[in-house]
Amino acid sequence: MIATIARKEFLEIVRDGRFKWTAALMVLLLVTALLAGWQRFNSYSQIQATAQGSTNTQWLKQGDKNPHTAAHYGNYAFKPLGPLAFFDSGIVNYAGTAVFMEAHKQNFAIARPATDTSAVARFGELNGAMILQVLLPLLIIFLGFTAFSGERETGTLRQLMSMGVSRGSLLWGKAAGIAAAVLLVVLPCLAVGALALAATGLQTAGGGIWTRVALIGGAYLGYAAVFLFLTLAVSAWAKTARTALMALVGFWAFTAFIMPKTAAEVSRLVEPSPAFGTFMAEMKEHQKRGIDGISPRIKLAQYRGELFRKYGVSRVQDLPVYWTAVSMQKLEELDHPVFEQHYNAVRDEYARQLRLQDRLGLLAPLLPLRSISMTLAGTDLIQHNRFMAETEVFRRNMVLKMNTYLSQAAANLNGVNSATNYMIANEDVFAIVPPFRYEPPALRDVIASQAGNFTLLAGWLLATIVLALVAVKRMSLERN
Amino acid sequence: MYRLIISHETRSLARTGALWAILALLVFAIGFAAFAGGRAITRQAKGAADAVAFENGERAKMRQDTEAYAAEVAASGGTYEFATVNHVPGRGPPQGTNAGVVGAETAAYVVLPPTGLAALSIGQSDVQLNYLPASMGTTLDMIKNLETENPVNLQTGPFDIAFVVIFLLPIFILAMTYDLLSSEKERGTLAMILAHPVSLRELMASKIVARAAVILAVVVGFGLLALLSVGTQLDQAETWVRFALWIIATLLYSLFWFSLAVLVNVYGRSSATNGTILAGIWLILVVVVPTLVSLLATTLYPAPSRMDLIVAAREAQTAGEKNMGSALDRFYSEHMDQVPTGDQRAMDFLTLAQANAANIEKALLPLYEQFREQSLHQEGLVQRFQYLSPAIMMQLALNEISGTSTARYQDFLDQAFRFRSQWNDFFASRFLKREPLRPADYDQFPSFSYVPESLTTVLGRLATSLAGLLLVCAGVTLLPFVGLRRYQVAAR
Repeated sequence: MIATIARKEFLEIVRDGRFKWTAALMVLLLVTALLAGWQRFNSYSQIQATAQGSTNTQWLKQGDKNPHTAAHYGNYAFKPLGPLAFFDSGIVNYAGTAVFMEAHKQNFAIARPATDTSAVARFGELNGAMILQVLLPLLIIFLGFTAFSGERETGTLRQLMSMGVSRGSLLWGKAAGIAAAVLLVVLPCLAVGALALAATGLQTAGGGIWTRVALIGGAYLGYAAVFLFLTLAVSAWAKTARTALMALVGFWAFTAFIMPKTAAEVSRLVEPSPAFGTFMAEMKEHQKRGIDGISPRIKLAQYRGELFRKYGVSRVQDLPVYWTAVSMQKLEELDHPVFEQHYNAVRDEYARQLRLQDRLGLLAPLLPLRSISMTLAGTDLIQHNRFMAETEVFRRNMVLKMNTYLSQAAANLNGVNSATNYMIANEDVFAIVPPFRYEPPALRDVIASQAGNFTLLAGWLLATIVLALVAVKRMSLERN
Repeated sequence: MYRLIISHETRSLARTGALWAILALLVFAIGFAAFAGGRAITRQAKGAADAVAFENGERAKMRQDTEAYAAEVAASGGTYEFATVNHVPGRGPPQGTNAGVVGAETAAYVVLPPTGLAALSIGQSDVQLNYLPASMGTTLDMIKNLETENPVNLQTGPFDIAFVVIFLLPIFILAMTYDLLSSEKERGTLAMILAHPVSLRELMASKIVARAAVILAVVVGFGLLALLSVGTQLDQAETWVRFALWIIATLLYSLFWFSLAVLVNVYGRSSATNGTILAGIWLILVVVVPTLVSLLATTLYPAPSRMDLIVAAREAQTAGEKNMGSALDRFYSEHMDQVPTGDQRAMDFLTLAQANAANIEKALLPLYEQFREQSLHQEGLVQRFQYLSPAIMMQLALNEISGTSTARYQDFLDQAFRFRSQWNDFFASRFLKREPLRPADYDQFPSFSYVPESLTTVLGRLATSLAGLLLVCAGVTLLPFVGLRRYQVAAR
């Protein structure tokens, strides 16, 4: 019985002229978005790899110089993307793609692609994720809002029930019919996407690319099902088809446009984060003050005293290590906790803002889906923060290696400053710093971080199925 | 007759729960957006103020040192001398007497002041840093920093009044008008009404006037309240001119959506079909077309990658360093505190560093120009394609009116770059002459004052978007009144 109903529903939808138009538009947009995303991902990855290769070479070939000066020249880390970024670019356009790693300073990511696009880009990027998150639900609503309300208005609902169809099988049959029509539109496009993925990304992909694809696919399927059952529930509940449509479109606009922005504003309100100028002023003040209120200058003097005692000397000239290098490394270590405190505070604020937005997914299923999609595509905030943390690890190691080398190699230069005997290092010394390599988090951890969002989405699905079942059980058969 | 129908419509509207729900949502959205916009602008302003205060504090300390030193010199009858670069305070002239140190170590922040309406449309102001440090570095050093903000929030975009107007207002308008005639027809009341001495056009016009009056009263009224609560510079005429433009744009945009609803109603389908069609058109005009235009702009005129720019900058830096004298100079340029007093050769490092910065700048400017060129191309394309969607026209118009447009920022950048060279020249010339800075010189430092764009310039940029809105409106308004002639009154 369910199969018969599904078949009837499917045929009725597919034969409708409106379906052809919406389906054509949907296919066109989805294919355009996937191809554009594919092209963007390839071009980005190529530029990123070339740029990282170039700066790594530039680091080695920077010319013979003092190791500490080399640390000032530093290096850049360019953020690599996983292949699924072609489907969901997440926060890539707004997060910054390059980090300058230099002596004495921790830096924010710079080179934000959004800086170089017109204001119209703020309407959103047309990518596969956006289409499935925003347009797909509306397609489902359009195809399904008359499922019960339309039959009631034309009087066929009573007829149908008189034939002994159970209400439950009517719901499942209709759901299956609409789902088949939707999949008819979406699946071929996604096949195109999968082909593009197989063609490009596999060599750059870490492990578990198809696990990611399966999980993303499952999440979107669940999200679509939420809208499907909600549409059927409202269609059964509403007195007229237009009431059903109004309510559904209203909810769609709420979840797709109003809630994400509201959630962002609410999270900013609850967890405010400082502007650039405020952040820098506070951090520099703190740096001058010292982490515990004792200025680095005093600490440096104390440190020199310690060294004197340790080596049993009373003059810098007699130290067996190059004081300039040792003191600069000490300064680095004094600044480090200050940097960590301030930069981590901002990163934690962002992460807390995101968590709060995820939780507001109780009101809009888009929010948990958005996070799942971005995270599995590797274009989310958590992985950006991880990238930033790794650049800091690299930076500290680079500076430490250079300062340490200098402190030993130039020990005979204590107290001497002259152009004639000056410590110069070459490429071989710079090569003791291994090139920057970003290790994306393990897939297991990525999935685990989304457990809450998967639960929320599953909750939505369960709730809408129950809602649909209840609405169909209580559905009135007559217009009134 | 009009008055009778309008008053009847208004009264019957007032009794439907839907109207009050929609108005309540609209008012709430405007209130929330005003609050959020106000906070965003305050945060930005605080960022600018903190940056300025910090750097001014640094310079003030240097000035105090020079004052103390001047007093000491006056008391002891010595000469006021130029300090060598040295970070460890000791005897002798303080660092504040060295123009090279003051110019290189402290930055003068140039600030783009928000217009009175900035809180109403955040526009691009959340991705552009509105306060830039001018120092003796390169132009590119000036613009490398970005406003810090959660990228998730940037990607989502702000909930400002422009969002309410562009995205939500049409939904509310369509919700009130999608069944303008179709509902009366479905209930069978349309034929009855038209049995009275009233034409279909009169009826339609009255229905629209009743709804438009309610919605627009709310938008203008609460828009004004929003301006009074989060707007700034309310005592200036310009703010009010901008607000008037804002209202005009909003009226035109609303009129478009009202007319569109009428147009769809005139085709005389069922309410549910009208609703589907209007929701579809909303989606296409407000979401699909803008994202397609953006895709087109970035595909046809992609900005060169900033990553490439970084690589090129380093290439230029390495090349520059090779011309920069000894490795020791390079070391000193990073560690001015270790320059031995009296070592003239070492003293010259700053001169060299400056020459180097100039070289890097020269090498990079052509690359940087490519960014501006592509960005101009993109803007040009968006300007041409904006007529495809009233939402794009409206966004461009509102950003322009609120002073958060790309064009205004570019103008600010030009002013900022000019100031940077002025700042650079001031300190470089004094430094090269080894002319000691005296306390009084601190009053002579170049200061930046933003030259606002004239309203005529703003209007010139605004004209295309407003004219486009007007044209589209006129078209959509006239069509239905022609089509009404053939409207079938009785339900089939």
